[in-house]
Amino acid sequence: MPANAPRPLVETRDLVKTYRLGGETIHAVNGVSLRIDEGEYVAIMGTSGSGKSTFMNMIGCLDVPTSGEVLVDGTPTQNMSSDALASLRNRKIGFVFQQFNLLARTSSIDNVAVPLIYAGLDAATRRERATAKLIAMGLGDRLLNTPAKLSGGQQQRVAIARALVTEPLILLADEPTGALDTRTSEDIMAIFEELNEQGITVIVVTHEDEIALHAKRRIEFRDGKVIEDKLVEDRRIAAPNDEAA
Amino acid sequence: MATASELLPSASPTRNPMASLAVNFAIAMTALRTNVMRSVLTMLGVLIGVFAVTLAVAVGNGAREAVTETIDGFGSNMAILIPRPDDDEGGPPRRTDSERGRLTQRDVDAIEREVPLVRATAPQLRQSFDIVVPGASASTEVVGTTPGYEIATVHSVDRGRYISNTDVRSSARVVVLGRTVSETLFGEADPIGETVRVNGVPFAIIGLLEEKGSTLGDDTDDTMLMPITTMRQRFVGDTLPGPDDLQLAFVAFQEGASLSRGKTEIIALLKDRYNVEFGDVTPFTVRTTEEFVEQSQFITGILQGVLVAIASISLLVGGIGIMNIMLVSVTERTREIGLRMALGARRSDIRNQFLVEAAVLCMLGGAVGIILAWLTGVTLEASFDFPVPVGIATAIGAVVFSAFIGLVFGGYPAIRASRLSPIEALRTE
Repeated sequence: MPANAPRPLVETRDLVKTYRLGGETIHAVNGVSLRIDEGEYVAIMGTSGSGKSTFMNMIGCLDVPTSGEVLVDGTPTQNMSSDALASLRNRKIGFVFQQFNLLARTSSIDNVAVPLIYAGLDAATRRERATAKLIAMGLGDRLLNTPAKLSGGQQQRVAIARALVTEPLILLADEPTGALDTRTSEDIMAIFEELNEQGITVIVVTHEDEIALHAKRRIEFRDGKVIEDKLVEDRRIAAPNDEAA
Repeated sequence: MATASELLPSASPTRNPMASLAVNFAIAMTALRTNVMRSVLTMLGVLIGVFAVTLAVAVGNGAREAVTETIDGFGSNMAILIPRPDDDEGGPPRRTDSERGRLTQRDVDAIEREVPLVRATAPQLRQSFDIVVPGASASTEVVGTTPGYEIATVHSVDRGRYISNTDVRSSARVVVLGRTVSETLFGEADPIGETVRVNGVPFAIIGLLEEKGSTLGDDTDDTMLMPITTMRQRFVGDTLPGPDDLQLAFVAFQEGASLSRGKTEIIALLKDRYNVEFGDVTPFTVRTTEEFVEQSQFITGILQGVLVAIASISLLVGGIGIMNIMLVSVTERTREIGLRMALGARRSDIRNQFLVEAAVLCMLGGAVGIILAWLTGVTLEASFDFPVPVGIATAIGAVVFSAFIGLVFGGYPAIRASRLSPIEALRTE
């Protein structure tokens, strides 16, 4: 592939997701077609119920569209088996959640190593790679701590290390700062910026303008449709405080 | 930067099943530790079940062992003749007065004379008596018999001598004591030459049987022997239908002789003597030790089966407990399941994780159950002199079976967990 031709990592074609709720059909996502290329940093905006989370779940292959297509790294996911989808999530996508979703009573290393179990790596390699990612996240002194012994920011950094440990192409973050204070949020955004500079495609779902300002591109959802898709002017660069370093 | 394809094994990795098992085992242990009380209570169900089944199997095996031992202790190549009509021989089951049981001294003499497979015969008359010495008495079953009894029962004297043919011919007032009777009457003192009274009749003690011990609660040393002629003339003659009728006879065969052939020959001879027509009921019954063993094994087998079946119900209840708790566990950890799926777990990974957890729960419970059953077996054996063998085979069988219970009852919850949609599971609060 020539260097100047952008590589499309996520493509949706007329994506629709409907739910039936009490006899009423709800169009959570209603005909969305868009494309996100390698190296992009996208903020997906919208109010609660706008369909942004449903959209993210579908491009993350966690949810199945009612109709339309999702292509990840050029591959249509429509007819993939559940095993193939699991493998695709494992290798190409890293998830970061609002509530961190770390396994309780489990050390940082073991939490970060979970995706490597499903990648089929041996125990020694799992520990080695998990440790390396945690050190990269500035958690070298928290390797054996359980989530209960970590602050919110530290927990989210463990979760980011876990998302990155299989070296995915795409980082999908759903309200990653929703449970964090402003200062800690800033640290997390700084990490995302750095990762994006290293070449990882970052997609952040958020309802906060503050957070969206860090992205390069902003896509806004309302009532299941994209109402705005533009580059961010006056992009904000996060100023990490010392603690995060 | 490095991409996924460079760092990780390619598209569909063939995972090492042992490594997956180790991972699932670690996950299971974490999950079980998280809820220690619940895990222990769940295990308790399987523990009791495995304990009950193991013990039932062991008690059954013990009963078989004891029965075989008892019969072996008798002399293993032997037939027992009883004056009782035998309608097991294929004849119509009709019993008239003319077909009342019959077995006489002359029959037994004929057997010893005419059946070459026979090594010795031991005709018997038995009755319980109080045996008295000054200052002590003992109640035991007295056996009136011949020297052949020594060969048939494989039980010789330790001191003194056995009953001789001369004793039998002369209806001598002599007895041979079993060890238990001797100890009751004389303690550790040597009884040879002493006198005992049976129904007021004095008898000289000529011998002391060697100690043989007891099997299945039956003390083979609690006995006393006297010449069969003495027994007949002085005690039981009036109660018998004829002057040389017997209550019982043992026939010992030659070493290595076929018991069934010996039996056939004995029956042929006796049928001839009693003019039994083909198909008619014989007035006597012949059973070989082989048949006794088979019959006893059959009966103890049925008893064991019933016992194990009842015990299995508790294991079934334990298994249902496992299923119940695994369903709770899956529900509680729905979010974790969703997360693992998001991180790349396949359905089979989730299924195996819960299967291993159920199997570990069952195997731990099973292992403790076996240890308890073994301890109980040892205690029972020590206090009741009844073998309760919890062998390695039983132990391995029980652990494998409890793992199987785990897989069966953990199967439904595990499959349910693996069928969850990743996003539905992740959204669960």
